[in-house]
Amino acid sequence: MPQSRDNSGAATSSHSDSINRRRFVQAVGATGVTVGLAGCSGGGSSSGSTTGEGGEGGGAGGASKLQLTTHSEWRKNSEAIKQALYDAGLSEDIQLEFISAGSTTDEMQNQYSQWLSAEQARPDLMIFDSGWTIPFIVRGQLLNLEDALPSDLLDTVHNDYFQQSVGSATGPDGDLFGVPLYPDFPTIQYRKDLVQDAGYDWEQYRTEAMSWKQFASELQDVYEQSDADYGFNWQAASEIQLSCCVFNEFLSSWGGAFFGNPEENLYGPVGDRPVTVNEQPVKDSLRMARSFVHGADADGTLDGFAGGITSTEAGQWGLSPSMRPFTNGNAVALRNWPYSININGAEDALGEDMGVMPIPYGVPEGEGQYPGTGGSVGALGGWNFAVNPNSQQVDAAVEFLQAISTESFQLANFKTVGHIPPVPSTLKQASDVPIMSRYLEPLTYAGEHTMARPATPVWPQQGEAVAQEAHAAIMAKKPVGEAMSSLQSRLKSFEESYSG
Amino acid sequence: MSTKKSQSAGSARAYRLDLKLLNRIERLSETQFVYVMLLPVFALLGTMAIWPLLYTANISLHADNIASADPVGAFVGLENYVRILTGEANLRRPFLDLNTPFTSALPVTLMFTAVAVVAETLLGFAMALILDQEFRGRRWVRVGMILPWTVPIVIQGMIFYLLFQPSLGFLVGPLQNLGLLSGSPLANSQDSLLIVILGDIWKQSAFMALLILAGLQSIDRSLYDVAEMSGASRLQQFRTITFPLVLPTLLVALLFRTIAALKVYGLVETVSSCNTVPTLSCLVISTWNANRYGSAAAIAFVIATIIALLLLFYLQQFRKQEHGGI
Repeated sequence: MPQSRDNSGAATSSHSDSINRRRFVQAVGATGVTVGLAGCSGGGSSSGSTTGEGGEGGGAGGASKLQLTTHSEWRKNSEAIKQALYDAGLSEDIQLEFISAGSTTDEMQNQYSQWLSAEQARPDLMIFDSGWTIPFIVRGQLLNLEDALPSDLLDTVHNDYFQQSVGSATGPDGDLFGVPLYPDFPTIQYRKDLVQDAGYDWEQYRTEAMSWKQFASELQDVYEQSDADYGFNWQAASEIQLSCCVFNEFLSSWGGAFFGNPEENLYGPVGDRPVTVNEQPVKDSLRMARSFVHGADADGTLDGFAGGITSTEAGQWGLSPSMRPFTNGNAVALRNWPYSININGAEDALGEDMGVMPIPYGVPEGEGQYPGTGGSVGALGGWNFAVNPNSQQVDAAVEFLQAISTESFQLANFKTVGHIPPVPSTLKQASDVPIMSRYLEPLTYAGEHTMARPATPVWPQQGEAVAQEAHAAIMAKKPVGEAMSSLQSRLKSFEESYSG
Repeated sequence: MSTKKSQSAGSARAYRLDLKLLNRIERLSETQFVYVMLLPVFALLGTMAIWPLLYTANISLHADNIASADPVGAFVGLENYVRILTGEANLRRPFLDLNTPFTSALPVTLMFTAVAVVAETLLGFAMALILDQEFRGRRWVRVGMILPWTVPIVIQGMIFYLLFQPSLGFLVGPLQNLGLLSGSPLANSQDSLLIVILGDIWKQSAFMALLILAGLQSIDRSLYDVAEMSGASRLQQFRTITFPLVLPTLLVALLFRTIAALKVYGLVETVSSCNTVPTLSCLVISTWNANRYGSAAAIAFVIATIIALLLLFYLQQFRKQEHGGI
């Protein structure tokens, strides 16, 4: 084509070009019209997404369809859970759709941020980690349940539930924004057979915790007498498990706190509360942890404490890697959450050779530097159901929350998927639940001795700093004092930069 | 009747408009016509690429607002950039702290990029030279060498995670006995950086080899015949024929790898963690996840600037090539 243009001169070239252009433009126009028409006639629905986008729900005959995010264990047992909800009084006109918001707590948190920021109407209900419910409350992204729930249910939740769980779903002015589905509190799981063979009886501590000092000393003896490769397994990796929970337990059981008096300052006021991680109880707890890992003779450890009971591998252990040796019978004791009781207490694992007791204490209960500290302290975990404020199905959502608050549902949920009832009196009645019912006493005790993480809007970043500095101190990458000084200034800096 | 008349008048008007438009298109110069045809592409690029970039740039000029449903705060100009570059920003790990280079984002990212890209280039070049030879079973060797490149990042991460788990990985014990690894290598920043670099080399050397092999195979074989006739040694042939002719391809491969290495994230998260190996992308994502959109956008633009500077360096090398350099 260019050849012919060159040979035939400008005019011809222009003429030849213009015919092609005209045809080209006409063809493009015709194609556009065709595609446009096809697009219109194709239509397509925007609803029905499995991730909960679009669609207003509803159903034939006036039935409403609630869409809610759940954990995988609910989705795997969806028929049994739905039946338990209907048996607990949920109207059968309300259809339930269980969806996933992610496979990890971080994924779920990020997904909720997107959904709620976009003011999507669905999902109608979402399950929130007790560790990050409050930031959503502070941002005004959850429905205030004080106006939505009937007063008798509000009274039940406020008065009868595990109070730390309720606190994790409560706003700064005391209003309720979520209903706890289940609380989680860690315990010490141990090889009862090895402990007994070494001449000890830890069953007596099921409802009365022993001290860390006694625990370390006896565990060291049991460990030396046994053929297990690991002694006391826990999680020291630089991640959320250390900041929210393990370090929180250590320092609280020694009478310390992140931000002074937890009863006043745990959830704020951010920027206007003391930072107290550089105090002696906190540093003592880290020195104890260093003794566990590096032995009593190492630098920066606690005098008079037995040590060398935890492998240096703990520095990269999260929950599963720390549990694996214990499940295989190759460790004396494990610090973990209740889900692992179900795994390790099964007949194909340790069965009845596994014992459970509360987390030991650093200083006796009531002798901590701050109210609520000292004694056995387990970090509070667990999940709450909260309502999407943009939902078109608030009445059905309230009915759902009423159903999960019944004793019958909580027991069925415990039996079906192992979720601990959020009401202490209900937990005490759960005597016919396989495996878990053997450990109701220590679980109830642990539930009454918990400490929540300081889950304010700045906690996601503060928690990272806590994990980094505590990990550095425990793994002897930094002296304890230096790590806590650094943490003190980093936490203060986060507090000061907050402008909520 | 009158309706029919007005309809036919309307369609005639539309036809005249069409003609007018087509006539105008006919009168366009070649260049103008090309730009008209490219308008949809520009519109698409503008919507899909340029606008989000500008929008993110705008966010980077606003304060963080973690206490509100609207996470973009007041306009603060370049304050986020200043705070990041002066170390005043509260980030997961420092942006630049030469006292702790293995836990500081910029040094970690630059160390990762420099070591990984150099090693991948050398290994990739060696692999390409081997694959360029005629030998029996060459096809299977090619498949074997390229195989790691086909492995998804998450699987690759899990492989290296398991290799360096003390209770599972067979590599940990011997390397610890040699004093090369600590007791918990995936919790140690130096060890973890080394492991992440090894993982990247394992996978990406094949990518370099593929690109370099393409360059090698485009070299006219008769040049080597002439060189041999002239008595040139193998090394001289490499220096005077192979390397100069493959260099343009090599620069493209280096450019791709350098950009990708500067943005490393997935491998770090699957093998170790962003707390242990804090790369620049880790900083962006952790800051974003903390609802600090202004700071996260500013870090992203700092990374983009670093990449742009490196891009300029490569472009300069290309220009030298075009002007007979090297």
